[in-house]
Amino acid sequence: MIVSWNWLKEYVRLDMSVSELERRLMMAGLNHEETSDVGGDLAIDLEVTSNRPDCLGHLGVAREVAVLFERELKLPPIAAAESGPPAESLSSVSIEAPQLCPRYTARLIQGVQLGPSPAWLVRRLATIGIAAINNVVDVTNYVLMECGQPLHAFDLAKLAGPRIVVRRARGGERIVAIDHRAYDLAADDCVIADAARAVAVGGVMGGADTEVTLATRDLLIESAAFDPLAIRNTARRLNLHSASSFRFERGLDPEGVDWASRRACHLILELAGGTLAAGVLDAGRQPPPREPLVLRLSQLKRILGIDIPADRVRAILAALGNRETRHDAQTVEVVPPSWRGDLAREIDLVEEVARIHGYEHIPEDVSVPMAASARRDEDRVLDRVREALVGGGFDEAYTLSLVEEDMSAAFSPWTETDALVAHMPILRRADRLRRSLVPSLLAARHANESLSNPTIELFEIAHVYLPRGDSLPDEQLMLAITTGADFHALKGVIEAILTRLNRHKILEVAPHPLPLVEAGRSCKLSVDGTLLGFLGEVSEDGLRRFDLRGHATVAEIKLSVLLELAELVPRYEKQPAFPAVSRDLNLVVDEGVRWEAIASAVRAAGGTLLENLAYQDTYRDPHRLGAGKKSLLLSITLRDPAGTLTSQKADQVCEQIVSDCRRELGAELRA
Amino acid sequence: MALAEFVAELAGLLDDAEKAFAAAGDAQALEAARIEFLGAKSGRLKNVQKGLAGVDKDDKPAAGKRFNEVKEAIATAFEAAKERVERARTAVAGRRGSEQFDPTLPGRPVRLGHLHLLTQTIEDLKEIMGRLGFTAASGPEIEDEWHNFQALNIPPAHPARDPLENFYLATAGAATGSGPLLLRTQTSTVQIRVMEQTPPPVRIISLGRVYRPDTADATHYPMFHQIEGLLIDRHATMADLKSVLRLFAKSYFGGDGHIRFRPSFFPFTEPSVEVDMSWNERWIEMGGAGMVDPNVLAAVGYDPEEVSGFAFGLGVERVCARRYGVTDIREFYKNDVRFLEQF
Repeated sequence: MIVSWNWLKEYVRLDMSVSELERRLMMAGLNHEETSDVGGDLAIDLEVTSNRPDCLGHLGVAREVAVLFERELKLPPIAAAESGPPAESLSSVSIEAPQLCPRYTARLIQGVQLGPSPAWLVRRLATIGIAAINNVVDVTNYVLMECGQPLHAFDLAKLAGPRIVVRRARGGERIVAIDHRAYDLAADDCVIADAARAVAVGGVMGGADTEVTLATRDLLIESAAFDPLAIRNTARRLNLHSASSFRFERGLDPEGVDWASRRACHLILELAGGTLAAGVLDAGRQPPPREPLVLRLSQLKRILGIDIPADRVRAILAALGNRETRHDAQTVEVVPPSWRGDLAREIDLVEEVARIHGYEHIPEDVSVPMAASARRDEDRVLDRVREALVGGGFDEAYTLSLVEEDMSAAFSPWTETDALVAHMPILRRADRLRRSLVPSLLAARHANESLSNPTIELFEIAHVYLPRGDSLPDEQLMLAITTGADFHALKGVIEAILTRLNRHKILEVAPHPLPLVEAGRSCKLSVDGTLLGFLGEVSEDGLRRFDLRGHATVAEIKLSVLLELAELVPRYEKQPAFPAVSRDLNLVVDEGVRWEAIASAVRAAGGTLLENLAYQDTYRDPHRLGAGKKSLLLSITLRDPAGTLTSQKADQVCEQIVSDCRRELGAELRA
Repeated sequence: MALAEFVAELAGLLDDAEKAFAAAGDAQALEAARIEFLGAKSGRLKNVQKGLAGVDKDDKPAAGKRFNEVKEAIATAFEAAKERVERARTAVAGRRGSEQFDPTLPGRPVRLGHLHLLTQTIEDLKEIMGRLGFTAASGPEIEDEWHNFQALNIPPAHPARDPLENFYLATAGAATGSGPLLLRTQTSTVQIRVMEQTPPPVRIISLGRVYRPDTADATHYPMFHQIEGLLIDRHATMADLKSVLRLFAKSYFGGDGHIRFRPSFFPFTEPSVEVDMSWNERWIEMGGAGMVDPNVLAAVGYDPEEVSGFAFGLGVERVCARRYGVTDIREFYKNDVRFLEQF
């Protein structure tokens, strides 16, 4: 809302500096945007919150100024001599759509002399950015910006009937508005019609056919109330937003309908002459009387934390236009003013008193009682996961929760159900709620490759959205990781995370085909048989789809599984004091024998004395080992918790291991 | 075992060892040879020593003596070789022109990753609020209209519910009557969910992603993070709100940290205020706050006559951008590792 300094002076004495005015208004809820000089006047731009449509006019702002500076508010004159014939004899008004338009009034002026507005009026409109058109249209705009109530002037001669019918638009109905564009109307749109056709989009914009021109002699001045939601829907659907629709959408002063009508007639008679018909055509409901509200003074202390003297409370409420109907030592009862539809409950009065009294009176150093608070297990687990990843050289990424359709389709290991779709994209074409973080991280790899960043090691922790019919989706927190290194490098990272959370858990892998991922280097990960996630090296095809030049490996881990298995308070285990014996074994096996089989045979043979088994290396040499053979170097640590392990005993265990591996896997000890 | 056999084995061993030490051209080869012959666990000398046990009892003193002589000879050969290798190394260094240790060479790099700046900020905020007694809470990002609107005192006709102001899901709801679903526009939804489950008092901080159809520019992004505090108790007042915010501002931003309230409007609080804090002798905007609206308390089954409370919300990106001087919040979502590694 842009306010003219000179115009505001019409209603309240402005003897403060403009910056003081701006500051006080801001501290009372009208945030100051900027002030600019327009031809010697000041245009003060104020941000009006949606609950205060009363401040969408100069009078409303002047009322706030009057309250804040304890000045008198001067209302402008509205009296107009009704020297013409009865209004009913000239026209009629009926409402057929009371849900859309609860009240419609019309006043009629005959014999006006159209022409330019006087300089003072032109200047005031210019300050707030409205171009002058002619004296009648300018008056309707002036009154709109004075009190906030939109008005429309019809050329009475151009209205068929002449009469006004307020109804829903008919199928296929079309109107050319005063912006000279055609609008197709629908049944939810409220139209102002004459006996023949729609002549205005109710509450939004008048029609070109019946607008006032320099040739106009007789006027019908509309002042009405429209349903806020209906106006909003129509303005939105037609993409036709006006100063009128903006105000009707927020709900206006029901008493303002008649006041504005009278005020406009007063000004038109003054500026354009003519004769005002007697009475008003007034259809629909009269505004209902307002119910009184009771403010318990104790509520001020209870909500605000400060006491405000009763006299001050009553004075503030009265200054704001509340009519006091009763008061005692504990309560004040008031009827709020018609222009403050937002004052409907006791708490609304508490806010009004606080706002005008000043929030600076509320202390900022009271002692708030202490309360226990604990970090959630989830946060502690996430901390450890993040620590491990950062220690492993990974940077954390944040990517959008919605992705484009092809990205969504590219990889979805957790569900085969179609992704949820937002009714409009969040950015570019991204409208699919993602079912995996992996495509987003591959896109981030691509972005970094384009920037020639040499090392791209990324992870992200975020939700995926797994559809569950019509109910809320299953939002699973996932950890996705991508590296330029290979399968086993990333597997090692995941094993490190797992061990960090619970050192007794072992990562299980099973081959599992996945899109985007190289066949045979694509695995399902589990712990104790529970699905943990997926890991694989991106295939040539996958690299092409994401336009990647370099090698990439990806993994996605379900964090709820980690949360479940995490041992955040491990129990102390006493470490054996007896020395360990280490042995290296070189086992030659067929190419097809997997580590898992060897490890399991070694563990079984090693029994309780086997403290640790570590893989060291694989060696292949067709000349020395023979074709189709490989040699695995493994290190074992043996320890007897009950006593010193003799070297003979250690040798026995090694021999047992070798012979079991020979029998079960055809392994031979390499010399 | 016969003594002769044992002695022959020792002689072979000494011969092999002397040859191997002599052949070692550098320290690495010499070390390999040392392990082969003198290794403590499975060196060949060690293995031969095991044979001593099998020598006839009468021959044992002689065998032992011979063993010690050979052991000493091998050790001497090793020392000689070691000296030779060391001399050679120094000689090479000399030819290169007195090689010197350079402590100013860079250390061998250790690659550490970086937490995203938003994570660091969120953790800082959570930690400060934790010390003020607020426990973290989270809830779904996809919500129903009850939690995102109705319970927050945003009735069906409210402009905030306009489809163009929200990301509604295209398919869900209407058919079965469960109602439309949408991406939450504020983390206040979490407050509702916590209050529905928990009798007062409540002191939580809710955090997470929220979604609004804003055009992406330097200060807006259609997805961002909010942190919201909620305190409900028997005697919670606006003075408590101001005091908590002051402690928070002083802890996070430092400085004098005074708090200023400007009246504002939010459907779920009344009174509602914009919060400013003093920083370097200026007022800067912190976020929105207010006393929880009685309608919200009633919606979750609390008695607004029994309890009161306050809520406040901050945009994490804005707080973070201000603190670290990030001039374009889109940087947070580009994932350029050069950006990520600055922090």
